[in-house]
Amino acid sequence: MFKRILNTVMAIVLVTTLGLTGCSNSKPSESKSENTNKPVVISLEGGDWGYPTPFSHYSRGPGVFKMNLIFDSLLERGEKGYIPWLADKWDISKDGLIYTFTLKENVKWQDGKPMTAEDIKFSFEYFAKHPPVSNDLMVDNKSFIQSVEAVDAKTVRFKVEQPLAILLGKIGNTRIIPKHIWEKVEDPQKFNTPEAVIGTGPYVLKDYNKEQGAYKFEAFKDFWGPKQKVDTLQFVPVSDSVLAFDKGEIDLTGSITTDILSKYQNDKEYKVMQNPAFWGYRLIFNMDTRTELKDKEIRQAFAYAIDKNELVEKVARKAAVPGNAGYLPVGHIWYNSNAKNYEFNIEKAKQLLKGNKLSFKLLTGNSNDELRIAELLKISLAKAGIEISITSADTKTRDAAIKKGNYEIVLNGHGGWGGDADLLRTAFVKEKTSNQSPSADGIPGYSNDQLNELCKQQLYEMDPAKRKDLVFKIQELIAEEIPQIPLYNTTGYIVFKPAKFDGWKYMFDHHEVTHNKLSYLDVKQ
Amino acid sequence: MTFFVIITLNFFIPRLMPGDPFIFLSSSEGQITTTYSEEQIAKYKAYYGLDKPMVVQYTSYITNLLKGNIGYSIYYNNSVINIIGKRMLWTVSIVLAAILVSCLIGTVLGSLSAWYRDGVFDKVLYSFIIAISEIPAFIIGIVFLFILAAKLGLFPLSGGMKTFANYSCFADHITDILHHAFLPVLTLSIARLGEFYLLSRNSMVSVLTKDYMRTARAKGLRNRRIIFRHALKNAMLPIVTRIFLSLGSVFGGAILVENVFNYPGVGHLMREAVMVRDYVLIQGIFLFVAVTVLTMNLLADIIYRRLDPRVS
Repeated sequence: MFKRILNTVMAIVLVTTLGLTGCSNSKPSESKSENTNKPVVISLEGGDWGYPTPFSHYSRGPGVFKMNLIFDSLLERGEKGYIPWLADKWDISKDGLIYTFTLKENVKWQDGKPMTAEDIKFSFEYFAKHPPVSNDLMVDNKSFIQSVEAVDAKTVRFKVEQPLAILLGKIGNTRIIPKHIWEKVEDPQKFNTPEAVIGTGPYVLKDYNKEQGAYKFEAFKDFWGPKQKVDTLQFVPVSDSVLAFDKGEIDLTGSITTDILSKYQNDKEYKVMQNPAFWGYRLIFNMDTRTELKDKEIRQAFAYAIDKNELVEKVARKAAVPGNAGYLPVGHIWYNSNAKNYEFNIEKAKQLLKGNKLSFKLLTGNSNDELRIAELLKISLAKAGIEISITSADTKTRDAAIKKGNYEIVLNGHGGWGGDADLLRTAFVKEKTSNQSPSADGIPGYSNDQLNELCKQQLYEMDPAKRKDLVFKIQELIAEEIPQIPLYNTTGYIVFKPAKFDGWKYMFDHHEVTHNKLSYLDVKQ
Repeated sequence: MTFFVIITLNFFIPRLMPGDPFIFLSSSEGQITTTYSEEQIAKYKAYYGLDKPMVVQYTSYITNLLKGNIGYSIYYNNSVINIIGKRMLWTVSIVLAAILVSCLIGTVLGSLSAWYRDGVFDKVLYSFIIAISEIPAFIIGIVFLFILAAKLGLFPLSGGMKTFANYSCFADHITDILHHAFLPVLTLSIARLGEFYLLSRNSMVSVLTKDYMRTARAKGLRNRRIIFRHALKNAMLPIVTRIFLSLGSVFGGAILVENVFNYPGVGHLMREAVMVRDYVLIQGIFLFVAVTVLTMNLLADIIYRRLDPRVS
């Protein structure tokens, strides 16, 4: 019996070896592309983030940006702010209730049909019925669009419920889908045929492999807009990003730690860029479960007793900036550098606590960094007389606890810190929720009339300059009140070879160049 | 009955975990998430039937299961059978290959070790195999990844096959898949080697002391014939049983190894599914694993009966 098994195995091995030698002359056609006319092929770290339609990409991770390569929006996020995209011009009525967009001409869908104002109207109405995964069409859980009207083939007019300062970006960021395809679709979540990925965008989806986590995009020949600098963009499976980059399997890596940074910085072949600080950790106080936290002085004592620079140095290995007590991080377009800054000062913390000894439970996730932060916080807070006991849970458990208010103090990390300044309202003012920033649920048990009023004013202030003043005031007030403590915002490094491709750009509110559609296009801003 | 208990546990355990498939409030470092609005969450819950009471959900799960419908994944937006089906082949192949390899090598080494019991060969081999089988599979995997794949470039770093390759002939395709599968299989095999080695060694040691072995030697048969024909045949029983029984734990090992090599199998999927609390998919995967393990146990019974006439 044993011999028989052995024989079978030997036979299999033999056959495969024979097969190997049988056609060793013909290699997979992949390497051919290097010889012919040198189209630019960029490979990036893959992973399965869902089929790139507005309904079936995953809510976690960069699936939404892959979808954005195919689907355009009325406006696009440039380096300084929104730029004209499918819409050439726009106009907002004096009362802030009517938005009129004039569309670009000769825009074609990837199946060759022309795009018209009807498609825009259809997209917004369809999304109202079937919200896409990433839905911009809500403010505080309510749809803000009253009606959409296709005035003529290239003019669209939106009527909105209320004059809010944040609506242009929300309307402008909404994806446009082709009416002639989607009008027949009843259940968009299950619609994943090749037709589902037809947009007006610069890239066409050529290949998607869910199991391998691979995507292949090719430049759309009849794209209306700026010329594509990258002909083929592919996302390939990677086990270790840095290894794959060194071996040339991918053309950019964002997983460079401080320890290996110098290897790339000292080599002219590479270019290193530091990301804007739009991803960060914050400490949220639950004043419902621990009412003593309603006392501003106790919260300030926390702020003084936390050594943010130490966290940046020891946990983030200097690839971060200390959190701003005014919440908006350095690098945000409306960052106010005059907001109160809490220098690490144990003595001051002790004074504010007036000799009281306090103890709290701190809930964290279970990543290494979170646990390190928690341990360091525990040590430094103990010096001021605040005792911390740490509970760590997996992310989903922690998220559920936050949602239910089932914690005393929680450490949470998320992105989106570069978004519209209205995130201050959603992060600090209760009973208002929106999907602008993750963890946007206000602070349990905290309410400040002045802050509520200012936040409401900035939302209705249509004059950007006046709104900016209000946002600056809000940051100063928040810094003084300190209802939650931003710990640090990460500024990871990316490395690439400029000789191969040097087009990487950031969006004004986002920290990843590979997510930016404009990185791959020849755009002058 | 066992099966019914399993599917009931499969249904309730994921749902009893804290967390919710639609609440995304945080992200891993540098990553982004979309946070759903309340209205969206309500809509999705209704869409997937998660707004109904647990009992109603459970009954509809059982009815659907009887109809052969194992559901539609919440996170992956695809039918569970589709998702698992496409990945199952990858996992099953590396698991079977690893069992085969570790069983063959383990048995041969174990038999030799038993034959030369207490000699230098046995002692060295014994300590060596005990040592390497104590190393967790994913560490072996990482070491291979760094040395054989990254430093020496002998093997691909990740995945189950070349992405976007057009193969000129079928053999190329097979070679590519084998090339990608080599390290995961090797890693898993090494991790399982000790088990088969020890088992066959023990089993052989007891067989070798039997009277009929003395007879075989007295007949003047060659050593190789004695070990592999007379002794091993009798020592095979526990090994065969173990092959089938170890399937469950090899699947467990495969989860970690697949994650190291980014191999497109069920193990990789299972980690994701638990992380995002995709109840329907978790159920599906566990159902698949349960069915496989139960089938294997059944097979083990049948084969055991055929190999050993004493069992009836």
